[in-house]
Amino acid sequence: MSEFLKKNGTRSVLATIISILVGLIAGSILILIVGLSSSEIGLSGAWEGIRLILAGTFSTGRSASGALSFGFNPQIIGNMLFRAVPLILCGLSVALAYKTGLFNIGASGQYLAGTCATLYVALSIPAGILPQFVVWILAFLAGVLAGALWGAIPGLLKAYLNINEVLACIMTNWIAANLVTWMFDISNLKNMVEGTKTGYIYKTTYGLVNLDGAWTYKDGLGVATPKLGLNKIFPGSQANAGILIAIVIAVAVYIILTKTTFGYELKACGANRHAARYAGIKDKRSIVLSMAIAGALAGSAAALYYLSGNTELYWSVYQKLPAEGFNGIAVAMLASCNPIACIFTGLFMSAIDLHGLQLANLTAYNEYITDVIIAVIVYLSAFSLLIKTWLSGRKKTAAPKPAKENKANPGKGVAE
Amino acid sequence: MEQAPEYVIEMLHITKIFPGIKANDDITLQLKKGEIHALLGENGAGKSTLMSVLFGLYQPEEGIIKKDGKEVKINNPNDATALHIGMVHQHFKLIDVFTVLDNIILGAEDTKLGFLQKKEARKKVKELSERYGLHVDLDAKIEDITVGMQQRVEILKMLYRDNEILIFDEPTAVLTPQEIEELMAIMRGLVKEGKSILFISHKLNEIMEVSDRVSVLRKGKYIGTVNTKDTTKEELSSMMVGRPVQLVVDKDEAKPAEPILKVENLTVPSKLHKNNAVKNVTFTAHAGEITCIAGIDGNGQTELVYALSGLEKASGGKITLCGKDITKASIRQRSLTGMSHIPEDRHKHGLVLDFTLEQNMVLQRYYEKDFQKGGFIKFGAVREYANKLIEQFDIRSGQGPITIARSMSGGNQQKAIVAREIDRNLPLIIAVQPTRGLDVGAIEFIHKRLVEERDAGKAVLLVSLELEEVMSLSDRILVMYEGEIVGELDPKKTTVQELGLYMAGAKRDGKEKEEQA
Repeated sequence: MSEFLKKNGTRSVLATIISILVGLIAGSILILIVGLSSSEIGLSGAWEGIRLILAGTFSTGRSASGALSFGFNPQIIGNMLFRAVPLILCGLSVALAYKTGLFNIGASGQYLAGTCATLYVALSIPAGILPQFVVWILAFLAGVLAGALWGAIPGLLKAYLNINEVLACIMTNWIAANLVTWMFDISNLKNMVEGTKTGYIYKTTYGLVNLDGAWTYKDGLGVATPKLGLNKIFPGSQANAGILIAIVIAVAVYIILTKTTFGYELKACGANRHAARYAGIKDKRSIVLSMAIAGALAGSAAALYYLSGNTELYWSVYQKLPAEGFNGIAVAMLASCNPIACIFTGLFMSAIDLHGLQLANLTAYNEYITDVIIAVIVYLSAFSLLIKTWLSGRKKTAAPKPAKENKANPGKGVAE
Repeated sequence: MEQAPEYVIEMLHITKIFPGIKANDDITLQLKKGEIHALLGENGAGKSTLMSVLFGLYQPEEGIIKKDGKEVKINNPNDATALHIGMVHQHFKLIDVFTVLDNIILGAEDTKLGFLQKKEARKKVKELSERYGLHVDLDAKIEDITVGMQQRVEILKMLYRDNEILIFDEPTAVLTPQEIEELMAIMRGLVKEGKSILFISHKLNEIMEVSDRVSVLRKGKYIGTVNTKDTTKEELSSMMVGRPVQLVVDKDEAKPAEPILKVENLTVPSKLHKNNAVKNVTFTAHAGEITCIAGIDGNGQTELVYALSGLEKASGGKITLCGKDITKASIRQRSLTGMSHIPEDRHKHGLVLDFTLEQNMVLQRYYEKDFQKGGFIKFGAVREYANKLIEQFDIRSGQGPITIARSMSGGNQQKAIVAREIDRNLPLIIAVQPTRGLDVGAIEFIHKRLVEERDAGKAVLLVSLELEEVMSLSDRILVMYEGEIVGELDPKKTTVQELGLYMAGAKRDGKEKEEQA
């Protein structure tokens, strides 16, 4: 099997790389056009922009002479690692569901549910009652659990009432948005200590303390994900143990899906529910579990993001759906829904995001250019099957034996 | 070139290669105008591939196709349609959620100002269906009708398009004996009207009965073409298999022992209509005996098996397996109690088509100690087991255990399922049409295996639509008609004709029906 996977795997990787390259080229062309049509930027400005888009991770700002300088920038790389965490986990959420025959478009809602539960638990346990690491674990598990519950809802609807999970996910997304808004609205978790801020929820580094009979929050008494020395390797960055946890989870998801009987059951159910039932697999249970695990992964994304101690949730009356959930789809598609590949595509998406910020910081461009690049890449990654077929077609002329194209069965899934 | 060419379609020196397999190796097939030309070969002999080449689904590596003596290029099914080549595929190409009528006109819709002219289409289809006796419910959805009716829709589709060259890919596999008779008559009628028929089959009886000439393929190679009237079944089968084949089942007297499966007053509701699909059915299957449920497709056999296997709930009655009441048991519990099940629909239930062959081989056993440890699959053991079954049951595929099940031929898919179920070594084997769509070699093999299982003390419950199989394989026949068991027959004391009367509802134990169905 490994040989076959290798062949197929190489093609998947090539297809992804082609998608990424075309996306970057498209972005570069856009930068060039914008630059040339602006008297302010011009050709040299455009060239700077292109360089930042391609290698912003290694940008170190501008030298004394005003030229862009490149090199090892620990802060950006550290931030890239940190921001990749929710992307990887949301990507895993979508990928796991997809591998088991479900399309989880509800990662955003599950992420919000996780956000809410994590912050509630982290900020509601008075400081000093429990050891900090216990509070951290409880808050993390709360996020995971909330995400799982939120994911289980479309799963239950699909399994027992045969309601399409995409539809149910879209609805649970908006229910989550409104519910979470309300949950924070009625809470005492809105930041009242820092007077300049309105609408922010406390960071988890704040701890609940009783000062002279009145409960209040004090910075530094709460919890935060340990840095594990990553702050020494990447000084000034947000990097913490979250990325390691995300990688461990990705490997775990990979093992569950490919090595265990449980994963076999989930995949069988996704590929042919009738055959799975015939073999005595509880199909309804499998569908609910798939969605619950997908939800748990999205919930863990939120938990790790907000438990970092240096992120805060902006609360507003009209809560938007967090972009992480939808970017998770891009991460998963780009990875052909391979859990291990999600680590790399998550890192890549995070890097592209930061390139955009660098672009905005150092040039007259704004960061939205990166949205175009990501859009092109996602668009192409949806065509990865097509690209794969094209690649195998190329091989046909080179090798004596032609690869069989499954012409009898067109219209198979995108990321087989 | 005034004179019309002798051959309406010629496929000359066709070669088609798939990874790991030469599906067609220098094959020549010439179809005369107005003849029924049978294409005979085992599963995987390359018949379907050759027809897919003719139909434009595959492009051959070598060889040319001529229509009326002129070379043509067939790049896709549309080209084939334009040349008036029509095909009824072995696996139906129907849209499940569309109605019968919509499926028939799909791709050949008559429109007026962009609006569908269904009324006229309906008239034409009705007329065709009456003329050829192809009874279908035009407004039923495909997913709600039986396999037999789906086949009739496929044939109507072809007739609706006024095709000249008609390819029937294993058309009788799912039909009842009476329906097969009708189909033969239809085919003869079509040929009289000047149409030419390519008839793919491995059923020697039918080929002998209906065809004018036979071309034989074996393992992708062209063996020869003979005139049907100059040959015999024996000669054809040895051409096809490459060795003499035993055409009748050779078995000793059954020695029925203790009851394994007891069914009492079982009632199962129907999904198609308000009546019960299975009505108050009672029977017993004994160890060491092949009990056969015979009947025309759609008389409750499917629902009966669903209720026995747990795929559907029974609304009344009791099922006892090996002394245990399993009426309310889950599918897995039934399986563990001692039931293996060769399902009717191999694509729906039998296989996960996107899984590899080896993954499918352990579909019923992946949770057993031999194949997992602490929830982790033992890949080595799975591979070894798959290889063992592949060898024992001669399952042919492009890449062995790692072949994706979808890419295997129908017969080999079926062999894989039979291998998996028989090898579980459980007291009861429910075999629903176990040889559907298989060739003589494979049928001989599976029949032999089932008899062996019987002799080893298993209870075999065979559900079959094929009279020949029913008569030759079973030790006891139960005939189902409209959800009831209307007769119990001894195959040695009955005739095909009598069995046919029971199946058609014209006769039943206890009372003779006056009206004929």
